[in-house]
Amino acid sequence: MSAAVQTLDISPVGRVEGDLDVRVDIQDGVVVNAWTSAELFRGFEIILRDKDPQAGLVVTPRACGICGASHLTCAAWALDTAWRTTVPRNAILARNLGQIVESIQSLPRHHYGLFMIDYTNKNYASSPFYEEAVKRWAPFTGTNYEVGVTISGRPVEIYALLGGQWPHSSYMVPGGVMCAPTLTDITRAWSILEHFRRNWMEPMWLGCSLERYEEIRSYDDFMAWLDERPEHANSDLGLFWRMSLDIGLDKYGRGHGRYVSWGYLPHEDRYNKPTIENRNASVIMKSGVYDGAADTHKLMDQSFTREDVGHAWYDEPGHLHPFDRTTKAIAKNDVDHDARYSWSVAVTHDQDGRLEAGPLSRQLIAGGRHGESWQHYDPLVLDMYKKMGGASVMLRHFARMHEGVKLYREAERILREFRLKDSWYEKPTERDGRGWGATEAIRGALCHWIEVEKGKIKNYQIIAPTTWNVGPRSNDGSRGPIEEALIGTPIADPHDPVEVGHVCRSYDSCLVCTVHAHDAATGEQLAAFRTA
Amino acid sequence: MANLLWLQGGACSGNTMSFLNAEEPSACDLVTDFGINVLWHPSLGMELGENLQRMLRALTSGEMPLDIFVFEGTVVNAPNGTGQWNRFAGRPMKDWVADLCKVANFVVAIGDCATYGGIPAVAPNPSESVGLQFLKRAQGGALGASYRSKAGLPVINVPGCPAHPDWITQIVVAVATGRAGDLTLDEFQRPKTFFTSFTQTGCTRNMHFAYKVSATEFGQRKGCLFYDLGCRGPMTHSPCNRILWNRQSSKTRAGMPCMGCTEPEFPFFDLNPGTVFKTQTVMGVPKDMPTGVDKTGYIKLTAAAKAASPAWAESDIFVV
Repeated sequence: MSAAVQTLDISPVGRVEGDLDVRVDIQDGVVVNAWTSAELFRGFEIILRDKDPQAGLVVTPRACGICGASHLTCAAWALDTAWRTTVPRNAILARNLGQIVESIQSLPRHHYGLFMIDYTNKNYASSPFYEEAVKRWAPFTGTNYEVGVTISGRPVEIYALLGGQWPHSSYMVPGGVMCAPTLTDITRAWSILEHFRRNWMEPMWLGCSLERYEEIRSYDDFMAWLDERPEHANSDLGLFWRMSLDIGLDKYGRGHGRYVSWGYLPHEDRYNKPTIENRNASVIMKSGVYDGAADTHKLMDQSFTREDVGHAWYDEPGHLHPFDRTTKAIAKNDVDHDARYSWSVAVTHDQDGRLEAGPLSRQLIAGGRHGESWQHYDPLVLDMYKKMGGASVMLRHFARMHEGVKLYREAERILREFRLKDSWYEKPTERDGRGWGATEAIRGALCHWIEVEKGKIKNYQIIAPTTWNVGPRSNDGSRGPIEEALIGTPIADPHDPVEVGHVCRSYDSCLVCTVHAHDAATGEQLAAFRTA
Repeated sequence: MANLLWLQGGACSGNTMSFLNAEEPSACDLVTDFGINVLWHPSLGMELGENLQRMLRALTSGEMPLDIFVFEGTVVNAPNGTGQWNRFAGRPMKDWVADLCKVANFVVAIGDCATYGGIPAVAPNPSESVGLQFLKRAQGGALGASYRSKAGLPVINVPGCPAHPDWITQIVVAVATGRAGDLTLDEFQRPKTFFTSFTQTGCTRNMHFAYKVSATEFGQRKGCLFYDLGCRGPMTHSPCNRILWNRQSSKTRAGMPCMGCTEPEFPFFDLNPGTVFKTQTVMGVPKDMPTGVDKTGYIKLTAAAKAASPAWAESDIFVV
């Protein structure tokens, strides 16, 4: 005899950036169906149409105050490929450094501010780790919360040395960067990194040196590390791991099991003449699609991207490549879970369907042997994925935090590689054309398509990581990645469904980046949608 | 204890991120040392769904006091004035804003979107966005020009894209500790303490401005960004070169032109073709003069400056 289905509408799910509403159907205390609705529309691409080709450098960082450097990176590379610029070595390094320090900033900020405070929820009062969790991670007053949230501001001081401020600089421009750092800037940047390492990464997060952590290359290595010393088990990483297992976060939040990454961090000597076609062979962190069920890796290409709008508030045919879309927003955005219920489109891969984006995707792809022999390879998270039975809330968050040490090392390398007396900028010739710029924001695959015609923007399109993750049903009826990941989630208290929050926050969702429209109508025609 | 609620409309979270960079006081210090009770914040709050809706209703009904209401992002009115394009906790955000502003002792708009409409309000303004009490230069916005909070003040506007963390924390602390009377606001309801001097005040390129030595391209180690690269430092009110960003620098120090983001017209010229990172000129003279300087004065000044310019001003000064 099956229990009745209880429908739960959660508005809002906070601590995701932007406005997310979730509906779940619960049967026998477990989620059996789910719908995610993005509830804010600003229309950035509509704003960008007919503007200066470089307007994206100003506007798109403001699509998202959290990953503005990632948007700026995409906007700059999109123009570089459209204008066929030459980008000096120093400029590639300076762009990558900005991207990296923003991502490093996000690690403690998301970890303490958005993710760990749920471990202090009353649901977990019976866990043996609960008392310690509250002491460390309670919002604003937790000992480690305060340290982590405050120190998260330090890495982006390096961004300010390059671009003047964080968030919202536009120091990356086609042809290079605006800055020309001096020895003082480099020395300060180094010292800021060291401070971050000595005051948070090593003593609080890891309980060991970066060097010891870097020896962990497999699931068994990690478990041996955990048992090796009390400092490891009692570090914030050790406690996160042990408590996550205790409260069952390794048991749900699986998702489709297919993953995407654009790859990122172009190598300073390999992408000086950037084109859309030569990007895959130029990035340090390789692109890819990983299929967990088949255990296969392959490269990702922007030409596979498709957008379905059958369940989103746009009126047009679906399954189009972004260059071919003529999106038309529907003014009357009533929620109908059987029809249209989100401002987010459903992004699909033309051959592989719905894909999950994010640090877990990046790390599963980093474990593949595809791509170029010189590109980054790291087998740890892929091994954990296989040994722990696939993805979960816990592994998704671990993968995110695991990137910190690697990004730190790359930041160190960049500081050594700068040649201060060489050029930072090569003035480009403005021209018409199509461009594409991509990167990996901390929360996953981000890219911009631009078409410049007659010296102005004809079409500008953004697909953000959360667009991949939080999208509604696609035209064939398949759920979006977060909708899929919610299936099987146990709900202890329907009046406080913290477990839904765990799943959504494990994706570090960002709704403000996600929602966009790039219709071919003019602003004046847009006004014609208005119903009396 | 001062109860503070922070909500976001048509926002990017940039001001939240900026606020979290605060160090003296830090975001946590506000709670632990200054007695501010953060009821809820979209990035930091514990509650979700019905628990939050219950709190919001307790505030709007007056059952729970609301001392400070902080708003980030635009007030979205689309489509057709309904606000349905930005729904939050079961209803349009604009309706929550209207109800909360009725019961709040103080209302603080953080960042350009909440003050003037900012980037979302750039033509054609698809989301019909406005600021709380302004749209660009025009008074009114979502609440109307005559709006006063329960303490008798208009919306306190802290502009910038984003606002600097110190501007945010100092205003919040002033209000929470009973010093609101010390605040004097200018014509755009900005605290004068921050928005009377210019972005240029304290810029490391001031000597190059004085001798009319231009940075003609990006990535140069000398020169002022005003003459060719569209810098708005001389006509923008902000303390960016007095209270540095992220404790390190400012846009103009790092070689990026100021875009005037603390002023109501930002982004200037609606980002139309030819206006980004390029000084707009008429017959070789900048369209927008340094505040208070007229065209005749400018021509005289720059001619004299050029004539007096020392040889060193043309060589690199920010050397390795």
